[in-house]
Amino acid sequence: MRVAQARRFVISDHPLPWLLPLVAILLVFTVYPLIYNIWLSFHEFVPRRRALEFVGTENWVQLWNDTRFWQSLVITFTYFAIALAFELVLGMAIALLLDSDGFGFGFLRGVLTMTLVIPPAIVGMMYLLMEDPQFGVISYLLQSIGLLNPNNPILATASTALAGVLVAEIWQWTPFMVLIFLAGLRALPPEPYEAAMIDGASSFQIFRRITLPMMSKVIAIAVLVRGIDLFRVFDYVFVMTSGGPGAATYSLSLYAWQQTFSFVKWGYGATLSLVTLVIILVIANLFIRIAKVKW
Amino acid sequence: MNGSFSTRMLRTIAAWVVVAVFFFPIYYWTSVAFKHGNDIFNRPPKLFAFTPTFDNFQKVFGISLGSGGITVTPGGGNFYMAPRVWDSIVIATLSTVLAVAIATVAAYALSRMNFRGRHSFVGWVLSTRMMPPVAVAVPMFFIYKNFGLIDTYTGMVLIHALMNLPLAVLLMKSFFDDIPSEIDESAIVDGASRFMIFRRIVLPMAKGGVAATAVLCFIFSWTEFLFALTLTTTSLKTVPVVSSTFVTSIGTAWGNMAALGAASIIPAFIFILLVQKHLVRGLTMGSLKQ
Repeated sequence: MRVAQARRFVISDHPLPWLLPLVAILLVFTVYPLIYNIWLSFHEFVPRRRALEFVGTENWVQLWNDTRFWQSLVITFTYFAIALAFELVLGMAIALLLDSDGFGFGFLRGVLTMTLVIPPAIVGMMYLLMEDPQFGVISYLLQSIGLLNPNNPILATASTALAGVLVAEIWQWTPFMVLIFLAGLRALPPEPYEAAMIDGASSFQIFRRITLPMMSKVIAIAVLVRGIDLFRVFDYVFVMTSGGPGAATYSLSLYAWQQTFSFVKWGYGATLSLVTLVIILVIANLFIRIAKVKW
Repeated sequence: MNGSFSTRMLRTIAAWVVVAVFFFPIYYWTSVAFKHGNDIFNRPPKLFAFTPTFDNFQKVFGISLGSGGITVTPGGGNFYMAPRVWDSIVIATLSTVLAVAIATVAAYALSRMNFRGRHSFVGWVLSTRMMPPVAVAVPMFFIYKNFGLIDTYTGMVLIHALMNLPLAVLLMKSFFDDIPSEIDESAIVDGASRFMIFRRIVLPMAKGGVAATAVLCFIFSWTEFLFALTLTTTSLKTVPVVSSTFVTSIGTAWGNMAALGAASIIPAFIFILLVQKHLVRGLTMGSLKQ
């Protein structure tokens, strides 16, 4: 009788059995870590006793007074803003250029997707080689046209290291924007363009007054999806600079990771990763509200 | 859009130049994989004029190109990476299967059943996608340590499946939403159970969507770095993680690393071309339809 009852419930219209596996795995792997992180942020590992000890709000006070933390927050926002600006503008420009049915354009769009399947850690390695001061092809090019002093390696100079990382980031993810914008452009109705042509509008006016407004939803989604990933940047900085030189490329994620795993500051690392989480959740949800993005 | 012949010509040239600039690093990296050490360390960098070699692939994969064709000899050197490629394939495949299975079932309910809190549930799934990996990896490291899951396929498969679940759920929901629900309703009238409708009617109709979801999950697992770095130590490692082990105290084995990198791009690229039709929908987690 029990089995029959259970069977009837499973095949019924109730959503619970359908959602149960998802809810279970999400609870175990997101809610539990969250609670554990909050608990951990009030503790710290004491190497002398090889144990976690309750430290009250010490980690949070330390966070407030930690110049490295504020610095990494600024670096993360800078990285986020510059990368997003470049990827949006370049992405839109290239999408407009490739929005054509001419011969070979489909092939070109296919080639662009290639950058998206390379592990970012390997992209970081590629650019590490290309930006090598002695035999890197990018360094060589910049040195020979006089833009780069051979004595200042790109990734080992505080003023250029972040730019060196950003080049890899922008190279890999601009095609992401191109593909999304292309799909948006191809779905636009032709009528407004025909009307504008008859009225003799310039191509810039058409872009500014017709294309951009009609693409606003597409742009908002691209900003959201890419923005989330930009804010948690880890792979490139870990592989290319490990945060250096000094602290010039310390992102929040990298700082939190290093505190936990390199410096055995488990409690402080948890505090930092919690802050990263809260900032992303707040900004992303605000953006979803303001831009009215829907799923 | 139309314009004269010369503007069309100009546009074609500009398009090829732009794509060539983006393709250049991939070409350069692949060329490094076929270069001898002294050609890699040449100044100015050698772009085209170098004597190609297969040594790097031999070191990394044990594949050699001799007079008798291609021979495979599993090697044991420090840079023999074939087992790491296998680890990556196993983890990516199993985590994809797990994520897609859980996601399709849940997505069907989210697409077809009306229940209180459905909208906030979707919002919750979406917000788990926003969690920075570091905020999950830190506590997961301690939990995995207690349960002996560090360095295991089980541990990596679970964490990669979790990472891909929000994407898979939202994406599958968008594919199910495309299928008119009248089909389900008429089947219910005919006496079919929900599960039968799901398995026999809706799922087969959405198989293109399932394939696209699976490919994206596979690629995201294949390229994932932070979890793999944190939750594996010695016996199990994925391709992105081992890429940094080529950096040694006596210099970096760029050629070997390039061979691994170049070879790891090819399967992922073929996969993504197969589902190009749904790529943008996948990249935007189902919110933009092509």
